[in-house]
Amino acid sequence: MKLNAFYKSPIFLKSVFVVSIFAIFFISAVTFKHINLLNKSATWVNHSYDVNLELERLFSYLKDSETGQRGFLITKDSTFLEPYIQAKEKIDRSFSIVKNYTKNDPAQENNLRKLQLYINKRQNYLSLTLHLSLKKGLNDKELKEKLLVGKYTMDSVRSQINTMILLEKETLKSRELSYNDTIKVTPIFIYITLLITLVLISVSYIRINRDLEKLQVSNNRLTVLNESSNLAEIVGNFGSWQLNIDTDQYTFSDNIYRLLGCEPQSFKNGQDDFLKYVHAEDRTYFEGINSKRLEKENLPSFTYRIIRKDKQLRYFRTTGRIVTNRSGQNILIGTTSDVTDEVLASLSLEQQNIELEASNKELVAFNYVASHDLQEPLRKIQTFISRLSDKEYDSLSDSGKEYITRIHSSVDRMRILIDDLLQYSRANKTEKVFEKVSLDTLLENAKFDLAQSIEEKGAMIQSEALPKMTVIPFQIQQLFINLIGNSLKYSKEKVTPKIKISCKKVTALEEDLIPKNTKDKFYKITFEDNGIGFEQEYAEKIFILFNRLHNKNEYAGTGIGLAICKKIVENHKGYIFAEGKPNEGSKFTIYLSEDC
Amino acid sequence: MVKEYIHIILADDDEDDRLFFTDAFDELKINTKVNTFNDGVELMNYLNQPEAILPNVLFLDLNMPRKNGIECLDEIKKNDRFNDIAIAIFSTSSSEEHIEETFVRGANIYIKKPSDFATLKKVLSDVVTINWQYYTSGLNKDNFLLRL
Amino acid sequence: MKIFIKFDFNAVCRKVLEDKLIKYDIKHRVLGFGEVEILEKTNPQKFNEFTEELKEYGIDIIENQKTILVQKMKDTINEMIHSPELVNVKSSVYLAEKLSHSYGYLSNLFSDVTYTSIENYIIMQKIEYAKQLIVNGQLNLTEIAFKLNYSSVAHLSTQFKNVTGITPSAFQRIITKRREIANKK
Repeated sequence: MKLNAFYKSPIFLKSVFVVSIFAIFFISAVTFKHINLLNKSATWVNHSYDVNLELERLFSYLKDSETGQRGFLITKDSTFLEPYIQAKEKIDRSFSIVKNYTKNDPAQENNLRKLQLYINKRQNYLSLTLHLSLKKGLNDKELKEKLLVGKYTMDSVRSQINTMILLEKETLKSRELSYNDTIKVTPIFIYITLLITLVLISVSYIRINRDLEKLQVSNNRLTVLNESSNLAEIVGNFGSWQLNIDTDQYTFSDNIYRLLGCEPQSFKNGQDDFLKYVHAEDRTYFEGINSKRLEKENLPSFTYRIIRKDKQLRYFRTTGRIVTNRSGQNILIGTTSDVTDEVLASLSLEQQNIELEASNKELVAFNYVASHDLQEPLRKIQTFISRLSDKEYDSLSDSGKEYITRIHSSVDRMRILIDDLLQYSRANKTEKVFEKVSLDTLLENAKFDLAQSIEEKGAMIQSEALPKMTVIPFQIQQLFINLIGNSLKYSKEKVTPKIKISCKKVTALEEDLIPKNTKDKFYKITFEDNGIGFEQEYAEKIFILFNRLHNKNEYAGTGIGLAICKKIVENHKGYIFAEGKPNEGSKFTIYLSEDC
Repeated sequence: MVKEYIHIILADDDEDDRLFFTDAFDELKINTKVNTFNDGVELMNYLNQPEAILPNVLFLDLNMPRKNGIECLDEIKKNDRFNDIAIAIFSTSSSEEHIEETFVRGANIYIKKPSDFATLKKVLSDVVTINWQYYTSGLNKDNFLLRL
Repeated sequence: MKIFIKFDFNAVCRKVLEDKLIKYDIKHRVLGFGEVEILEKTNPQKFNEFTEELKEYGIDIIENQKTILVQKMKDTINEMIHSPELVNVKSSVYLAEKLSHSYGYLSNLFSDVTYTSIENYIIMQKIEYAKQLIVNGQLNLTEIAFKLNYSSVAHLSTQFKNVTGITPSAFQRIITKRREIANKK
């Protein structure tokens, strides 16, 4: 694991580089030393040859001088003395050469001194012999003696020279040996070092190659990403920017400039230049938001106006998020988008909403005022008619009496209609005060309101305990009144009306009638009666305003009561459903959200 | 000493309603004296006179020009001088919220204007009788709430 | 701070009356509630001052025989309603016995003077008492119904609504809200 990490770390490459440099230095040093050695050994060989040659030459000069001497001694001819004299000079010269060659070799110097001694001895003897022969002429015996001595001296010279040559050869040999030793080991060493270096370099090459490939791949990806983000910015009408918090340096994407209607990167990246395009009224706000942002905090989304280069007004929205990069720098990455369309749309929607709300309010107010104000004249008509029929009834003709009765019933019907309409408009009114109340109390109140007709019909109302809920009390009471009133109105003739009110706590999931997407708990309250019922196909229609299933001569009614019920239930975010069977009865089911 | 008559005041901008009102009291066999005012301003001007004879029962229409019934009610409730007046709201509206609101503000009686004369007579007679009871039987007027 | 006061009208009236009688030095004997016998003739001017002062407390001297009897009936009814031990006798019988007059006579007299029937008066008084108990808040509706001899809460509620036009709970709500407003001032 550690090794792997090391392999991957940049230190690895650095160490490989350093090691390789050292290896190459080492190899070149070794090679240099080796070539030097080679050079030296060649010199040594030459030197040895030179020494030996010169020694041989020296010996041959000695011989020459001896031959010349002998020739003279025999012939007494002085021409033979010429080589002798020449040889003497040559010997001296040759000797000095050898001496020069062997200057650094103590053993050879020693030998050379001995040689010099022998040569001197020989030369002395030769010159002595010559002198004797010239002066007094030698007898054979003396000559023979002298020649013998000369031969001995010559032999010792020869042997001395041979010794020297031999020594020189041995030195050469030993040097060659050590040179060979060196030359045998170093290649292996160099080879191994080279191999290791090679391996290291190969490994790093692979590494570098792989890194390069990766770099290439990520580079490609980056290019594509860059392109796609550029494209996305253009298509999505937004630009991105970065702010290095530590250096306060801004970087804008090209599209930021395009959004402003400028050529990409046509002005310096920075808030000051950007601010020139911000709407004068929004500048303080813009700067405020930016300066309020704390170092580690994200930039909240905020919207402001921009005057583009072409003087067009646009709405921009900017938001940013702090990101810490690998180098530990805090960078605020942000996007700025042109939300003009969105803002305009929402503005117009808002405007429409306001208008709609106003018109709705107006309608509700109109409805209320209309139905409320209609009550006044109607009530007066009714009162005047009541006065008329009380006071003047007897003085009216029969048809007059009939008209009075008809006016009476028409006015009564209008009264009911207006009352119902008023109730409906009240259920529509916006002000809704929710209170936690016991539905039992509301049901009791409802029964009070209906006490008279309950008594008249002899109805039996049976109810289970109802919960306490947060509702608009008057509305729920109205709901109960309307539902019970409905059952009473559409009861069968000559059958005791029975109304059964039951209540159960349910969840939305259990009930087929209400939408499943809520997990809400509901109170399901049902009103069941044994009245005339209705065809199931009208189950939805009966909740529509002014919708009636019966002729108004059969059953008095305005078709508003159940519409009010629906309105009230909707005000409480609940649901109401009707089920009916002709001649058996009807059942109304209300779902009221538990936490409503 | 028991007063000779019961003093009644009605403030209502509707002429017909004032007529029905006075007619009804005329026909009732109760010894009453009825004064009417055309709106809240007239009413308050009268009541605020120091020598004004204060009514036993004051009937207030809610919807009146210049000063409506609720404004009158609030003004009357602020002044301790009017503590003994029983206040009856006399209105066309019968919204439950409205009714409770006026009771909370200090009205004693709430009457929905009846739509026939016989009922009107009955209602007015009831108001006077019950108020009479409160007056003569030493009942706690704070608890006097009546809806007709 | 707000305190709730429970008081006995009878005791208050009696105390005020006796204090005043003593103040004006009138020799007297209290015969029962609402009935005082003056034992010696008093200065008419002094007696007038005495009656004026009583008026401040809402106490009137009844001069008419009929009104005296009606007042006696009212007192009896109140006594009956407020009595801690429940009176199981019918009110008509109880009244007739207590006041030694026929119920028919009493009933006519009562209607003449008060413009209302004895029955209505009884109901009204019961509901008034119920209101007082609701306002005190010490008893719940069930307990009040029992205390006032109603067969059930529903019966009490129905009668309450019939008399006042509103339900007991609405009554309670209104009174509570009025108090909240008064407390804010």
